Amino acid sequence: MPTVSVKWQKKVFDGIEIDISLPAYVFKAQLYDLTGVPPERQKIMVKGGLLKDDADWSAIGVKDGQKLMMMGTADEIVKAPEKAIVFAEDLPEEALATNLGYSAGLVNLGNTCYMNSTVQCLKSVPELKSALSNYSLAARSTDVDQTSHMLTVATRELFGELDRSVNAVSPTQFWMVLRKKYPQFSQLQNGIYMQQDAEECWTQLLYTLSQSLKAPTSSEDPDAVKALFGVNLRSRLHCQESGEESSETESVYSLKCHISHEVNHLHEGLKHGLKGELEKTSPTLGRTALYLKDSLIDSLPRYLTVQFVRFFWKRETNQKAKILRKVDYPLELDIFDLCSEDLRKKLEAPRQKLRDEEGKKLGLQTSAKSGSKDSDVKMTDAEASSNGSGESSTVNQQEGASSGKETHMTGIYDLVAVLTHKGRSADSGHYVAWVKQESGKWIQYDDDNPSMQREEDITKLSGGGDWHMAYIIMYKARFVSM
Amino acid sequence: MAPTQDPNSVGGGAKQDEASLKVPSKDPKKKDEKKEEDLSEEDLELKQNLELYVERVQDPNPELQKAALESMRQEIRASTSSMTSVPKPLKFLRPHYGTLKAFHVTMADSDLKKYLSDILSVLALTMSAEGERESLGYRLIGTEGDIGSWGHEYVRNLAGEIAQEYTKRQSEEAPIDDLMELVQQIVAFHMKHNAETEAVDLLMDVEDLDLLLEHVDKTNFKRTCNYLTSAAKYLPGPDDMLVLDISYMIYMKFEEYPNALQIALFLDNTQYVKQVFTSCADLLRKKQFCYMIARHGITFDLDDEMVADDDDREALQDIVNNTKLSEGYLTLARDIEVMEAKTPEDIYKAHLLDGRASSGASVDSARQNLAATFVNAFVNAGFGQDKLMTVPSDSTTGSSGNWLFKNKEHGKTSAAASLGMIQLWDVDSGLSQLDKYFHSNDNPIIAGALLGVGIVNCGIKNDCDPALALLGDYIDKEDSSVRIGAIMGLGISYAGSQNDQIRSKLSPILNDAKAPLDVIAFASLSLGMIYVGSCNEEVAQSIIFALMDRSEAELGDALTRFLPLGLGLLYLGKQESVEATAEVSKTFNEKIRKYCDMTLLSCAYAGTGNVLKVQDLLAQCGEHLEKGDIHQGPAVLGLAMVAMSEELGIDMEIRSLERMLQYGEQNIRRAVPLALGLLCISNPKVTVMDTLSRLSHDTDSEVAMAAIISLGLIGAGTNNARIAGMLRNLSSYYYKDASLLFCVRIAQGLVHMGKGLLTLSPFHSERFLLSPTALAGIVTLLHACLDMKPIILGKYHYVLYFLVLAMQPRMMLTVDENLKPLSVPVRVGQAVDVVGQAGRPKTITGFQTHSTPVLLAAGERAELATDKYIPLSPILEGFIILKENPDYREE
Repeated sequence: MPTVSVKWQKKVFDGIEIDISLPAYVFKAQLYDLTGVPPERQKIMVKGGLLKDDADWSAIGVKDGQKLMMMGTADEIVKAPEKAIVFAEDLPEEALATNLGYSAGLVNLGNTCYMNSTVQCLKSVPELKSALSNYSLAARSTDVDQTSHMLTVATRELFGELDRSVNAVSPTQFWMVLRKKYPQFSQLQNGIYMQQDAEECWTQLLYTLSQSLKAPTSSEDPDAVKALFGVNLRSRLHCQESGEESSETESVYSLKCHISHEVNHLHEGLKHGLKGELEKTSPTLGRTALYLKDSLIDSLPRYLTVQFVRFFWKRETNQKAKILRKVDYPLELDIFDLCSEDLRKKLEAPRQKLRDEEGKKLGLQTSAKSGSKDSDVKMTDAEASSNGSGESSTVNQQEGASSGKETHMTGIYDLVAVLTHKGRSADSGHYVAWVKQESGKWIQYDDDNPSMQREEDITKLSGGGDWHMAYIIMYKARFVSM
Repeated sequence: MAPTQDPNSVGGGAKQDEASLKVPSKDPKKKDEKKEEDLSEEDLELKQNLELYVERVQDPNPELQKAALESMRQEIRASTSSMTSVPKPLKFLRPHYGTLKAFHVTMADSDLKKYLSDILSVLALTMSAEGERESLGYRLIGTEGDIGSWGHEYVRNLAGEIAQEYTKRQSEEAPIDDLMELVQQIVAFHMKHNAETEAVDLLMDVEDLDLLLEHVDKTNFKRTCNYLTSAAKYLPGPDDMLVLDISYMIYMKFEEYPNALQIALFLDNTQYVKQVFTSCADLLRKKQFCYMIARHGITFDLDDEMVADDDDREALQDIVNNTKLSEGYLTLARDIEVMEAKTPEDIYKAHLLDGRASSGASVDSARQNLAATFVNAFVNAGFGQDKLMTVPSDSTTGSSGNWLFKNKEHGKTSAAASLGMIQLWDVDSGLSQLDKYFHSNDNPIIAGALLGVGIVNCGIKNDCDPALALLGDYIDKEDSSVRIGAIMGLGISYAGSQNDQIRSKLSPILNDAKAPLDVIAFASLSLGMIYVGSCNEEVAQSIIFALMDRSEAELGDALTRFLPLGLGLLYLGKQESVEATAEVSKTFNEKIRKYCDMTLLSCAYAGTGNVLKVQDLLAQCGEHLEKGDIHQGPAVLGLAMVAMSEELGIDMEIRSLERMLQYGEQNIRRAVPLALGLLCISNPKVTVMDTLSRLSHDTDSEVAMAAIISLGLIGAGTNNARIAGMLRNLSSYYYKDASLLFCVRIAQGLVHMGKGLLTLSPFHSERFLLSPTALAGIVTLLHACLDMKPIILGKYHYVLYFLVLAMQPRMMLTVDENLKPLSVPVRVGQAVDVVGQAGRPKTITGFQTHSTPVLLAAGERAELATDKYIPLSPILEGFIILKENPDYREE
């Protein structure tokens, strides 16, 4: 009977006798005793072959002192997990899109970056989206003309498509309708559509939407767009010559930030923009006289749009020239001192509350307070910081005033979207949208190519060079519930 | 300038000569006079003496003649010792050269004539017109005596003239005996006077290197051989083989066995290898030889003629079989303290990328998980532990299985096989880890387990042949993924073994009409690997038939390229041997004909630096083709393969590849980054890095992908921070493009391969030897990269594992006489080329002192910093056995 040594893993079992008259299975049983590996899982390697259970030892010609190698473990055999793993590659496109955390880009149809960036900025307003989704043909009021209706529907469709898709969307339909409604966007130059002013596109689009969404049927929301973007200004007109004074109110969709030599910061620009001079016939003097106009904000919108007046008509060159001056803007804007006395009074209480909460939040980080107050704060925190879809519920809350708590404006705004322009004149260069996502991340929408950006880079778009500079920026109101 | 003289006019000749010299113009005369005035008294005397001798030589009185010649000879010899300026006697004799020459003709044959010949021969050194070879002419009719006494410069000049004369006589088929006699003398002289390089040059010119053997001695054989071996790189075949042969013989003569073995391995001459073993009696030295053979990666069986004792032979064979490689590698890892397993995230270092990093998708991406699988496999290669595959299985879920199932379908093959990579070289634990996957009912997993077995056994041989035993049965299974797994596993584990048993199993597949194309392609590759560089006729036949049987449609498939490649590997580095097969390949279908042609050519001349072949291949690349032809890809790769053997060739090749980027068609541009990757594999040259970085942003995504993979290749196993940074930025640049991101991930894995302890370079032993299996593995991957989409980005991504053939620890590990690791101080620095330098130049520069084991980067060399031990091999790489120095005294 030859004795062999068997190597298994790192161990060597010496001096195992083989009864060559018995089948190999017996040998395997021997090894089972030594290693605990069941015979059916033993693989014994003999000179480049595996030992079969019924193998005849004499045929193999095993020699005394030969070394054999065994492979095999008593380990559990791997099983596939019961719940199959879902791979991103298998998911439908919509699921992937939500997964991505931001929506798709828009294809440039030939100098349409002004439109693409406008659409991307406006799309970031969830209330506008929900208002659009409520819009239907039936609700169409009679004073809305056909093209406005079509543009509204096209906007709704485009927003929907952007949310669903992963790859860039081609806004062909929207563009056609837009040009139909506003033929000025169909200007041709050398046979191709010209670059246009994004501000014009923005204003026109919002105007159309405000008209068509002024749904008479929906009782709670008479003018959705105005509620979202409208700013009421109360102006005091003062004529220095006659000393007469009058006041008037007006509603605008955006504040202007005038840029002059003194303006280094958005706040200064806004103040500048709210003061003006105008000539008008003075009833007392009986002739035209110079009036000073001094405006203050009377009511705050949920979304405050600020336009940097960077373009002016330069007569010498016959084109819209651009002011490259650097004007800083904050991520958090407080417009309290631009408000009227009445509004300030209204804002005081909520602001106090907001300050308290912030103070508490800071305090909480160091010493955790207990009790109901604590959870209270957290709740309001959550509410105050919740963006996007969560906000639509607060709209109802505010409008309906049904719940015990009401949310109030604080006069403090957070930056949510920036539309930038790069280049030297409004009709040339490139427009890009920078939009804050619900997740808090900033995405740069450069036509069909969205890419992540850091928040600190967003404030660097303030101009003063040839880099992208903010042209229209949009702030979202911070609420506090009381 | 010497006017013809009446040969019989005796005396006054010199004067006339001088006069005629001064005639042409007044100015030189004045100058001459001035010079004469400047001469010191001593010189003046010498001059006058010499003039007197010249006159006397022409004296009819033989006694006088003889005395004059003798004196002249004395003067010349006494002064030739100085090399800094023309020796004075020569200078003063210059004007009389013509006179003496003329007189020489008139002399009757006699000893005196011979004496004069000697002197004329020396004078001709400066006077003879170019190409006249007067010096040699007079030498041959002069006295046969010690030529060295006339000075080095004279001998050197003679050598040059001999070389010219030799070629002339060769063409006239004139006898050369007299020349050879002189050669003998010159060689002896050179060898004695530290001018080995000149001796070798002369002997190469007269094609009689054998003479060297007689003249080398203990003091100069190293320098001689050094020069011979490095000259071999630049010689055309078959001269290079001859030169190496000689240097092998010299090394053997002086018992410098490690070097002799190195050359034997270079020549791929088993007979020589055996001779080294039989000539050496010392067992310890033989062990060192075995380590060298093991590093080269060839299969070599010791017989009792080489080692008589059975136990000794077994111990030696174990070393050749690389069984201790894993242990040594882990010793190194422990010493450098990199045992801690790394996760792919540790490699990606996404936190260093600001804001742009992937948004952290909650759903697993199969593509990204597959990339992570490869990164994990490469980074933890050989360490036996990682954080994805070998984590101890949770009793309830079996968490080790978890990662496996995070890969989709064919991805599971690579995942299971990655276990083989993690356990690389450690056959025992590797097999037991892989065992459980054999019992899976999922075909891709079984395929992965089979492939894993192959990878674990890569470069390791075992008596029990576990790989063959385990994989053999799966070759003919139904499922083609399982078959491929087994076939590829065999190819990797038995690369270079020329195992007939495997051939008889694989060859039938090639000519099986029912076998699917991918199985045939991989069978061809595996056969190519197993018989790499063997020129095996039968295998070649099988592959040729398989190629001929392919239908038109199949020939268009991307995988078909592996058939010609398999064929090419058979002739890897075998130069002319490929010609018969290349002839056959001309009969192939035109779709594959040129591809096959290029592949064969490039493989056969890989690593030879053959300039003619480089030109052939360049010519192919210069053509502007219709779309659809793919043979320029392998031609570009071929350029790199041929030129990769030595530094100069590499630099030239890099420059010509730059040109190709500018002027080449798209299919050439796609191959250029890969060629660059091959030229600088595991050797991140900054210029190449920059080129590849530029190409990685190319508008053509195929070029970009190839460049990214190549960035990984040039940085493979170096942990190069600059490449790592580039790749990190690329990962954020391409975060949306799954294919490019996959390539970036793979490259990141390569750069951190083995946590920086490994190299992919097929060259070792101071870049002298080229491991054929390693090159085969790299070339296969590069051919696969020529068409990324269907292969690496498709379902054959496991071809990436072919790189395992080239993976070797870039270490120097010193062991004592019992082969236990021994830590000694060593200096590691940039290697300096000392070939042909005088004296004992430093071999490394800018060195740092470490204690072993140490890592050696590309172009670095180590030397012991202690006299306490003597290394048994002069090439300090890999495993080095140290012997205690008997003469060492502690200070």
